This record gives sequence, C-alpha cells and structure tokens, in this order.
Amino acid sequence: MPGLTSPKIRRTAGARLAVVAATAVLPLALASCTDNASANPSGTTDGPIQVTSTDADCKVSAAEAPSGNLTFAVKNDGAEVTEFYVLAEDGLRIVAEVENIGPGITRNLVLTAPAGKYITACKPGMKGDGIRADFTVKDSGKQATADADLQKLVDTGVTQYTAYVKDQTEQLVAGTKEFAAAYAAGDAAKAKSLYAATRMHWERIEPVAESFGDLDPKLDAREADLEPGQKWTGWHRAEKDLFPPAGYKELTAAERAAISKQLVADTEELSTRTRTVKLSADKLGNGAKELLDEVARGKVTGEEEIWSHTDLWDFQANVDGARIAFENLKPALQQKDAALAKDLDAKFSALQAELKNHAKGDGFAYYNELSKDEVQQLSALVDALGEPLSKLTAAVVL
Amino acid sequence: MTANFLIGLREGLEATLIVVLLMAYLTKSGRRALLPRLWAGVGIAVAVSVGFGALLTFGPRGLTFEAQEAIGGGLSIVAVGLVTWMVFWMARTARSLGSELRSRVDGVADGAAWGLVLVAALAVGREGLETALFLWAAAQASGESGTPLFGALLGLAVAAGLGYLLHRGVLKVNLSLFFTWTGVALVVIAGGVLAYGVHDLQEAGILPGLHSLAFDVSTAVPPSSWYGTLLKGTLNFSPATTWLEAAAWVLYAVPVMFFYLRANFRPPLRRAEAPATAAAVAS
Repeated sequence: MPGLTSPKIRRTAGARLAVVAATAVLPLALASCTDNASANPSGTTDGPIQVTSTDADCKVSAAEAPSGNLTFAVKNDGAEVTEFYVLAEDGLRIVAEVENIGPGITRNLVLTAPAGKYITACKPGMKGDGIRADFTVKDSGKQATADADLQKLVDTGVTQYTAYVKDQTEQLVAGTKEFAAAYAAGDAAKAKSLYAATRMHWERIEPVAESFGDLDPKLDAREADLEPGQKWTGWHRAEKDLFPPAGYKELTAAERAAISKQLVADTEELSTRTRTVKLSADKLGNGAKELLDEVARGKVTGEEEIWSHTDLWDFQANVDGARIAFENLKPALQQKDAALAKDLDAKFSALQAELKNHAKGDGFAYYNELSKDEVQQLSALVDALGEPLSKLTAAVVL
Repeated sequence: MTANFLIGLREGLEATLIVVLLMAYLTKSGRRALLPRLWAGVGIAVAVSVGFGALLTFGPRGLTFEAQEAIGGGLSIVAVGLVTWMVFWMARTARSLGSELRSRVDGVADGAAWGLVLVAALAVGREGLETALFLWAAAQASGESGTPLFGALLGLAVAAGLGYLLHRGVLKVNLSLFFTWTGVALVVIAGGVLAYGVHDLQEAGILPGLHSLAFDVSTAVPPSSWYGTLLKGTLNFSPATTWLEAAAWVLYAVPVMFFYLRANFRPPLRRAEAPATAAAVAS
C-alpha cells in the first residue's frame, strides 16, 4: 500500500483494495455455480443419496450413482460435529466436502461428478482420515448439456484434423512424385531442393502415417535403424545418395529409378489408407505428444537428417502437426482446462518464435550450422512444451 | 446441543475478535465517532452472508466446493493484508494521541473510513458464508427439533458476549500497554487467519501440500473439544497443520511482529521518520 500521509491517498488505497477484493471474488462466484438439485426435488428423478453419520459409522444409502449432478444429504445422528468428504480415487484429493455438520443437522453436498471411482468419508470429531467407503459413478450416457456441447466441440476438432491430414497427404503425394521424377532422372540439384520441403508434409502427419506399421519403415527408415536383412528404401535412402558422405559410392541410374518408383508407390498406398482412417480426440492429443517426442528424439539431435542436415524443416513440420492438433482440440480444452490451453498457447508461441530465428529464405539454417547453445535453447523449449502437452489428451478426453 | 453450541462459538469468535480489538482501539483513542463505520462493515458482511447463504440453500444454484473454499480462503488472505495495514496505522497514530495533532489525526482517520468498513466486513465476511450455510441448515432441521439452531445461536451469542467482555477488559488496560498489546494480538490473530486461508486454498486444490502435515496433535487437542474450539476460534489454531500453513504463519507473524515492535518502541525523537518506515512495511 502506498504511503498514508494524506487522507486522499488513503481513501484511494482503500477503494482500490475494495475493487481488488470484489474483482477477485465476484467472477469466481459467478463462474463456479453448480446446479442446486437439492433445492428442486421435483427436477431430479432419483432423490439425494442419504448419508447418515454417527460417531462410529458412516452409512451411504447407495454405493454407486449415474454421472451428472449428485446430491448427498448428510445427516449427523452422532453426538460430535462431523464432516463429509467425496475424495478422488487416490483418497487424497478432495473433490467436494461439507464441514460443520452439527448433531441433528442435515446438510446437502451437491457436486457434478464425471464417471469414475471415488471414496466417501465421514469424519466425526473432525479428525483423522474418517470412515471411508468406495463409491462408483457410472457413465449415465445422457450427459449434461455442457457435456453435449463439449462433445460437439471435440467432434468438430477431430473432423478438422481429419481434413488437415487429407490435405497434407495430397500435397505429399504430389510433392513425392515431383521429387521422385527429378531424382530418377539424375537431376540432383532439383531433387535436393525438393527434398526437405516435400518431407514436411510427411512429418506433419507422422503419427497417422506411423500408425501403419508396414509403411513407415519402407518410407522413413534411417540407415542407423535398419534391422539386419531389411531392405533400405524410402526418403533417407535417397537422402544419402543426394548428400553423399565422403567415400560414398553412388547408386546407379537403375537403382535410383527403383527407389523412386517404390517411394511413389508406398506414398500412394499411404494416401489410400489414410482416407479410411478413423481419428478421435485421444489420437489427436497423443499424436501431438508423439510429434513433439519425435522432435526431442530425432530433430533436436540432428539424427534424422544426418546427411542433408535439414532437421529444422522436419522440426517445424512436427511442431505444425502438433499445434494443429492442439488448436483443433482447443475449444474443448478451454471448457475443461482453460489454464492448460493458455499454457500450451504460450509454449507453442515461444517455440515457434525461437524456430523463426533460424529461418532462412523459404527454409531454415542447416542443423550443422547451429551452435551448441542454440540447440540447447531449442531443446529446452521443446521440453517446456512437452510437459503440458502430455496432459492434453487426459484433459480433453476424461 | 453442545457440539452445535461449540460450532457457533468457534465461528463467532473467529469473526468477532478482530472487530472487538479495532473497536477497543477506536474507543481508547477517543474516536468513538468512527464506531458506526465499523458496525456498518459488520452489518454489510452479515447481511451479505445471510442473504447469500439463503440463496445458495434455497435458490436454484449452489456454489461448487472449490468456489466456497476459494472465496473463504481468498477473503481470509485479503483480510490479513488489511488487518496488517490497520495495525501499522494504529501504531503510528497512537503516538500522536492527545497531542496538538489530534485534529489532523482525526482527518486521517476519516480518510481511512472505508478501510475500517472493509476490514470489519472482511473479518466477519470470511467466516460468514460458511456460518450462514450452517445456520440455514440448522433452521431447516428445527422442524424436527429446535435444539441445533438454538445451540448454534447460543454459541454465537456467547462469542459476542466474550467479545464484549474482552472489549471492556482491554479498556481497563493501561493506555501505553494497550496499544502495543492490541497490535500484538492482532498480528497473532492475523497470522492464524492467513494459515487458515492457506488451508482453504489447499482443500480447494489451488495450493498443494494438503497431506504434508507439519504436526498433528488432534488426539491431544480434539477439534471438537471446548479448548480445541477456543484455540481455533481465537488463534485459528488447527491441530493438524500442514507445512504450508505453518510456513505461512511463521513467515507472516515473525517479520510483521518484528517490524511492529520496532515501530512501537522507536524513541520518540525519531518520530518524524516513522511514517515512511511503517508505510513501507505495511505495503
């Protein structure tokens, strides 16, 4: 508080505090209302769950209930003051509680409970862990209006992402054909210029592409990861040939033609299969996390594009894919966990801003041009984003 | 009956103490004219709590548990800030009592009018909602038996009576001791209010560490006993205290007490410097 030397200053200080207090509490109060089922017994078909708390006993009239608004009418039949808790499955987190239930008094506890396992507890005398019992909330199927709206938001997000995957696959097929033609024709300069940009379409939808276990190795295997006896095809095979290390023996024109043909065929097969792939919110959320893990594992270390050093193109594409998935889920996430949505927004922006520092022309700096500190900086931002991103799926789906 | 009486007593004491000490201070410093301001704050808090409690009990919408705890906890912490400010304000104005500066001091006090209203409203209001919900529940039960409501109201009445006795008692205290004593008591009480606010926020899941207990003496001091009730009502002492609560208490009470005592026992010659220092501390 500022100096209190004049009445005028003091008055403004008091007024400001009043405003602070009011602004802090009011929205909280307005945003945190819950339906008062107890006050409107005719509105609910099943009455409240009866809880009778005595000094040695805690009787709950039902051990399970359908999800939605639950009302516990807690009656204290004991001689001591009691409390009633609904705890999360871990028995630690308080989901809801009602304190100060004096003898002879009934107090209602109203909560909106999603399906899941819970623990109820009476605490006569207000000490200790209380008299506990398991309680199950079953999915009632008929969800509250807020949930229906939420489902709509999730569905819209999934539809949008499905369209995104389709669009990227189409661009991937077109780009791959162009790249393959140049490569097969021995036009190394053109093939090199197309390489990184075309692969971005692949990297953006990698989790979907990887869900087809047979296609992924054929298209994206790196030499270091080859299994004994595995035939090396796909992008990285061409990469080594286009950006040859010292002492490397070039492929023949026939070998290049074969690799090109295979690459196009496999990409077209991928495109066909993604047409029928069924996406869902959890696949989006987990996919976003996978993409970021990919960045942390391969791109930020420079292992993915060991010969072309175009890791930052892949990096950017992975981040694009993750961000689009997040943005499609964001309207739903904002309803369930606005703070997480905000956090993710900020961390995606921070990572994107740092990536932009390395942009060059249409593309990026090569990985081997980055200093150790720059790599570390990118790595730190990836880690910072990965932590909240790992909560995305649970926050939207559960 | 006894248990409900103790609830009323505890909640009543929690709400009363700060108001009583501020009242005694105003009386003692010859500014009884400002008492209505204090009462206005109390009145607003009671009216809002009772009205809000009735709305939540009988209206179509209730508050979520998190919201109740967040409101209680948030108000408690805001109340601590205001009480701390009042304590230092009192320490400073007490020095100029009876001096030629009286008129100026009264002017200053006038400026703090809204501060007084706010402190009183918060001191009562932070416990008001929970108490009002309890009273409405007791009133509903009175169809079966009137004793719960009677017990609770009796508890509140006794709390008010104890407050009155305390008020009379402290008025008899020697004047120079009085100001220090009131301030010390308020700092200790405010520390308890802060710890209590922290606990509310822990229960709501806003702050972590609900299950990391610094100590648990609830067997020796059962919360439902009369002495547990008194300790909780006066000092907000919780027999099962989390580390975060304990840390909040220590980090508040120790430095504030230090600065308060320093401000109080500063030699009168250096009085001119006092306002700046105390203001810096209070901010």
